[in-house]
Parts: sequence; structure tokens; C-alpha cells
Amino acid sequence: MTGATPEGVGIPIADASLLVDVGSAWTKAALVARIRGRWRIAAQASVPTAWGDRAMLDALAATLEEAVDRRLADSLRMLLSRLPRIACGTPSRPGRLVLAAVSRDVSGAAARRAAEAAGWLVVQEVTVDDGRSLLERLAALQRAGADAWLLAGGFDDAVSEQALELASLVAAARHGEPEAGPVLWAGSERMGDAVAALIGPELVVVPNPRATEQGGDAEPLRRHLEDLLQMLVEPGGVRRLAPIAFRRGIAEVARLTGLRTAGVDIGAQYATWVRSEADGTATGRIYAAGGTGSPLLTVSGVASRIARGLDLAIDELAVADALQNQRARPAALPQTKDELAVAQGAARLRLEQIAADEGGLGGLDLVIGTGRVIAAAPTPWQAAGLLLDGLRPLGVTQLAVDAAGALAPLGSLPDDEIAEGLASVIGDALVPLGTAVVCRGVRAGAVAMRVRIRRAGWGEQRLEVRAGQLVVEPLPRGSHADVEIELGNGVSLGGPRRTTRVTSQVSGGSVGIVLDARDVPLGLPRRLDDRRAVLAAWRDALAEERSGSWELAG
Amino acid sequence: MSPAVHRVPLPPGSEPTVDVGAEVSADAVLAVRRTAQHPVAIPAAARLRRRASDVAGHATVDPGARVAAGDVLARAGRREVRSPVTGIFLGGSRIDGTLLVAPLGEEEPIVGHVAGRVRSVDRHGISVEVPGALLTGIAGSGEAVHGELVLAVHEPAEELRAAAIDVAKAGRIVVGGSRASAETLTRARAMGVAGIVLGGVLDKELRDFESIQRRRRELGGMTGAFSLILLEGFGKVGFDPSLFDWFRRQAGRMASLVGADRLLYVHDADPPPERHPLPMVGDRAIAHRRPFQGQSGTVVAMLDGLHAAPSGIPARTALVRFDDGHLAPVPLANLEAVSEPA
Repeated sequence: MTGATPEGVGIPIADASLLVDVGSAWTKAALVARIRGRWRIAAQASVPTAWGDRAMLDALAATLEEAVDRRLADSLRMLLSRLPRIACGTPSRPGRLVLAAVSRDVSGAAARRAAEAAGWLVVQEVTVDDGRSLLERLAALQRAGADAWLLAGGFDDAVSEQALELASLVAAARHGEPEAGPVLWAGSERMGDAVAALIGPELVVVPNPRATEQGGDAEPLRRHLEDLLQMLVEPGGVRRLAPIAFRRGIAEVARLTGLRTAGVDIGAQYATWVRSEADGTATGRIYAAGGTGSPLLTVSGVASRIARGLDLAIDELAVADALQNQRARPAALPQTKDELAVAQGAARLRLEQIAADEGGLGGLDLVIGTGRVIAAAPTPWQAAGLLLDGLRPLGVTQLAVDAAGALAPLGSLPDDEIAEGLASVIGDALVPLGTAVVCRGVRAGAVAMRVRIRRAGWGEQRLEVRAGQLVVEPLPRGSHADVEIELGNGVSLGGPRRTTRVTSQVSGGSVGIVLDARDVPLGLPRRLDDRRAVLAAWRDALAEERSGSWELAG
Repeated sequence: MSPAVHRVPLPPGSEPTVDVGAEVSADAVLAVRRTAQHPVAIPAAARLRRRASDVAGHATVDPGARVAAGDVLARAGRREVRSPVTGIFLGGSRIDGTLLVAPLGEEEPIVGHVAGRVRSVDRHGISVEVPGALLTGIAGSGEAVHGELVLAVHEPAEELRAAAIDVAKAGRIVVGGSRASAETLTRARAMGVAGIVLGGVLDKELRDFESIQRRRRELGGMTGAFSLILLEGFGKVGFDPSLFDWFRRQAGRMASLVGADRLLYVHDADPPPERHPLPMVGDRAIAHRRPFQGQSGTVVAMLDGLHAAPSGIPARTALVRFDDGHLAPVPLANLEAVSEPA
């Protein structure tokens, strides 16, 4: 609707677009418009995807009704429907990949990591060291039903007999059918011809992600797998796939802000993790079955693990039923406090797994959370609590949420437009929660951090944070403070050894400054009642300072 | 009404036995298959007088190829190694110089468990047009079964008790109620019940039942297939009354239940009540999350703007008069409209 500024509209919508992220359960939409010469997110709404486009436009129009001329209220939906859209969406279905590798922890781990980073769902993994018999491996490969097969094994200068045997097994499982999908060889360079002789002409030789004993570069394989996913499963282009677009968006945020940035998107179906250096070099993982509606959350043992991590007394059976209902109807909302606690417990567990896969998180300047369970948490302290408890980002880290779900649609813009697109609305898209200071190596009863906070016009504030404590100091959005942290004996923020004093400028947000001496990983009592009491105390510490309203951009 | 189409997947190596257009009954064999057995290792290095690492290079058949007993597997000059069994050639080991052949077991029938007309046949599956109604569940387990549909409860919210399962239910698909214990499910299976249709079940009960079945399979001696489908939700969740009434009307019809795929076909049945998202004022609706999970009522109003649920989540909210008379606000996302088929 460019060039059609309706007279009297409170929000000039001559230059406006809709950012739309069509998720498997919920669709998020944001209206971006040039207001008084500045691009702003003027309205945002989300509706279950099953309700359709019309309901999404109605919801967006409803949020605008009070801001526009009454004469236009009736035609708002029609006006919004004509706006250009920048859209992305959850893949219609995940690409299914069978992985066969010599070793689970070396070639298998490197190949799996590349495959998951490209958005593939590894439906079957067979390795020589998986403890299964040959027949069991053959049966597993035969029933996998995959779009493509990835074979890995052997360093580039080696010939692995085990890799060739595995290639024979894959060939047998495929019954020589080219329709069974392409086979990629991501193993020793020297063995390409030998593997091709077994598999046939459909074999594609791709870069080895574990080329040497010391390591390797999985990025070329990831790029190849991303292209393959586009060719086989998403002919519309992977740039418009939300997990890929989110990675591009986070990389651009890092480049724009010059901050080492991580982003995590917990959706109903997918979970996406991205870590980007300040120059925009990003790595990450896409967990195709990692969302809050994932069947993986309903496997044995998960419900009890989540129940043990809750501050409310909810029995394991109720947790298991709630997880199953969440899987079955991911667009339904947790209506009771118990159901919300379970949904957030499931998200926390997924975040813990992401942090574990990364081998712990540190050295980050900014962590951005999105997905309904985080960005649409009823209060900002709940969102901050999820990110802190789940990820445990060591050091001094800003926390923010992408409340409007704008990063993924903006990340789907072409290369030459993404920087401009993001730069124009980044201030509105990211809702800052504040800054967290997370330390490890605390000793029970001892002082973990002595902190001085200086704010212009407020004087100096001194705080002592003991092991296991969580202290929140309010610092509103847009405010900054200088923080000087004196670390206790053996306590670290992830910096160089023997660093005992750290200074940093921190920024505020809906929660403020969070001084977190709960250790990494979280130190929790074993006894259930004690554990619940400690978890409740931490919740109260986070919730105490503010009643919990979101501070949106003014 | 257009027929539902059921796809019977064919595992690799299956051979279809029906043609397109054929009318098939629920117990008709649609294909046969011989599964691979434990592989036989055939020493080849010594026979071929070659090093173990070279044996695979002398193979005359490709991995995955089917070989008959006596077929040549590898050749080096005039020396040959032949397969002692009919099976699938898996390849050669470069470590010990053996060739591996997985013998094929007895021919196994693949039964479709649905009655209708064969629409298509390809190497991956057979599609059958099923005249009747299809219901899709939210969870299920077990292989495909078929049998006569019978009701074992009197009310949609009634729990399916073990006592309601008797020998008369053998070979049938039993419509239960809001819940069934692991004991009830185990008894049903032991009595020869083909399948069970439930409104709700506790995850724990289902898990216990499945682990009992797994244990029995490991010990051997388990006979007959059994399938289960869940239509409304986990927990104690009754059927929507209109759906339960529909089941009442369909009692005695043939049904096919594919638990693992969460599909229930009722042959020659009227269309079931329809469900759709985003109910309007005046619509009948069923709630899907606690505290109203499984309860039905009528949407009497839409609240303006967003309202916070007890969880604190702001949401578009409808006011619902439930069938038991009480009035409650429910997030619209947690409601599904229920209507009689057009």
C-alpha cells in the first residue's frame, strides 16, 4: 500500500510492511511503519496458525484500532492485507536424514552437528560402535524412510575398512534403489571412489567435517546439506525457513551491534540455537524435533526430570499428561499456573540441553530469546529466569527477547537488504530484560561477588552476593550503570584465570541487573522439599523488584 | 461422501499381490514379504587366494542384491565363492575376508486391515479407498487391526473398567470412555480384544501397559495384534457427547484401527461430528486444556481485548456455558468448535 497514506490515519502507513512468521502452532505478525521519519514496530499480534490469515489480520487490526482514525477502523484489516509482507515460516516438514558413521563420538558427532545446523532431522543413526548387531543395523537402516543418507568416517589421509563395510550395509539397505534418496559421502577424501563403487552413481562426495584427528571444519558440509534440503524438501528456498532466517537475523544483529550475540528460538516444533561473533560469523544448531511440542519431551524419564526442577508441587503424572497434551495440541495455551510451570520447565530443559551441546556458554555479550514460551512469557522476569536457568551464560551478558518475533522475518530478507531492514527496527524488535552477571566456582556460605554499582545521579551502591544467591537490582530500559565486581576466592566469570576484579558497563531493561551466584550448572539441593524451597526463593528474588510488566519501546 | 484413502506402507522387498481397482476385504493379503535373517558369513579370502582386504573388490554382485543359493558371489580368476543360501548380499568384510549374506525368512503376508477398493499400487505402498468415516486421534499405539465396533461404557465421561471387558469383546474394537487403567488394557489384550478407542488415558497407564507388552514380547508367547487410539486428551478426559452419540449409532459396524498412525476408520458410517478451530458465539465447543479439558459447552460471548488466564498469559478469551451449567472464561486457542456434519 505504498503511496496510499489515508488522510487522518494516526499512524502514517504510506511506508509500511508486515513481518510475518508462520509457525507450526502460532503465527506472529508485526506491523512495521515509518512514523515521524523513523521506522517503528507499530503493532504486533499472534494467533494460532490454524485460525488462518484473516484472524491474524483481525488481531493486528484490533491492536491498532485505538491509534487510528475511527473512520478507518472498519477498513483496517483490508488495509493491512494489502501491505507488502516479509515472511518466513516453519518448514512444512523436516528433511529426514539417515546418518551412518564409523564412530559415534568423532565422525558421527561432527556429521550430526553439521546436519542439525542445516535443519535436517536425523531419523536414524548407525555407527560401528553402537553396540548393535549387523542385522539390527540393517533393519534400522531399512525402516528409516529418509530423504537422504549421510555417510561419514575416516580422516582425509586414511582408508577406513569399517567405513567401507558401513557403506556396503547402506547399499544393502537401499536395495540399489536410486529413489531411496541421494547418498552423501562426508568421510576420508581418499575413499570417495571406493564408496562410489559400492553405492553407485547417486553418491555425492562432500567435504569431510572431521578431516584430521585434531578436528575439522563442518561449515562446508553444513552449506552443502542446506542446499540439499532446499532441493529435496523446500524448493521455495531455505532463506524463508524460520530457523535459517533466524540464524541470519542473529548474525546481522551481532554485526550491527558489534556484540558477540547468541539467539535461541524455542518454537512448538523446532528449537534453533545461533551463536555469532561480532563480525557476523555465525554457527548454530537447528533441532528439528526440539520444540515444546516435541515427542522427545514425552519419552520416559523426562517428566520426572521436569517435575524435579519445578518450584511448584506438581506430581510427575500430571507433568507427563501436560507434556503429552502440549505435544498433541501445541497451539493451546497453558491456562493454569501448573500447566505454565510445566511448559516453562520443558523449555528450560531444552535450553539446558542446548547449553550442554555447546559445552557451556561463556564469552557472550548478548543473549536473545524468542519463541512463544520465552518471548510471550506472562512477565519479563519469567523470560529472564528461563534464559538464565536454562543457558547459564557465564560472565556479564545482556538479556533480551524478540517479543514481536521480528528477527526471523527480517533475517529472510535478501543479503543486500538484511542490514538495512534490521538496523531500522532493531530498537523496537529487541525488548531488553537487563544484564546478568553469572559466576561459577562458588563455595557454600562464602561471598561469591562484591559488587559496586554506579549510576549517574544515583551515587554508588554496594552489594554482597553469597553462593547460591540471586540478587536483582532495578535498572530501567535505556539506563546504563558502571559495575565493578570483586570475585570471591575461586570464583570466575569465565575470564582469564586469577582475574579477581571485573568492571563493565551494563544496560537496563524490564528486569534490571541480575547478580547470579547460583553456580554453573545450577547448584540445587537433592531433597525435593529443599529443592522446591530454593527454586521458589530464586523465583521470588526475580519477581520481587517489579510487578512484572513488559517495558516496550516508548 | 468421498471415501477416505488409507495407505498401507510396504517395507523394502515386499511384493504386492493386488491390482488397482481390486475390491479387498479387511483381512485380505495385499502383499507378501520375506524378511532378512541373521547374516551368514562366508569365508572367501582363502578360497579366492586373495588377501582379506581385497575380497570385497572381487564381489560379482552389488550390496543389497538378492541372491539365490548357488549364485556366484565373488570370483578371482577361475576361483569362485557361491552363496549357500537364498538371501540378500550385504557385502564383504575387508577385515576378515568374509562375504555376508542375510538369508530370507518365511514369506509373511501384509494384511491391509481396511476394506475397500485399491486405488494405487507402488513399491512403497498400496492405497485403498475406504467407504466410511475417518477419525484422527491425538495419540495411539499398536499395529493395524480390524473388528466390529462395540461400546463398553454408557456415558462419555465413564471410565472403562476391567470388568467391562469380557470374552464377547474378543476380536472387536471397543469404545471406552474417559480413562482406562493399565490393568484394563492388559486384560483387554489378554481377552483377545482387537483394539480400544478412548477419550482420555493417563500417560502413566499407557506407559505401564506398553512396558508390560514389551516384556511379554521379550518373553515370547504373545499372540494377536492389539491397537489403541486416544481421541481427546491425556488425563481423565471424556468424549464430547455428540461424538459419543455418533459412536453409539455406529455400534456393530466394521472398523479398522491403526494405532501407530492414530487412524480409526469406521466402514459405511455416517460422517462424524466436525471439529474446527476458532469457534464463534453460539457454537458448541470443546475445551482442550485444564481445568476444563474434555468439557463441552456453548460459546455465549467473546470478551473484548486480551484477558489474562490464571497462568498470566494474555489471550483472546471466550465465555463458555459448559454442559454442567457453569460459566467460565476460556482462551479461544483452547477451544475447538463441534458441529454436526453439513
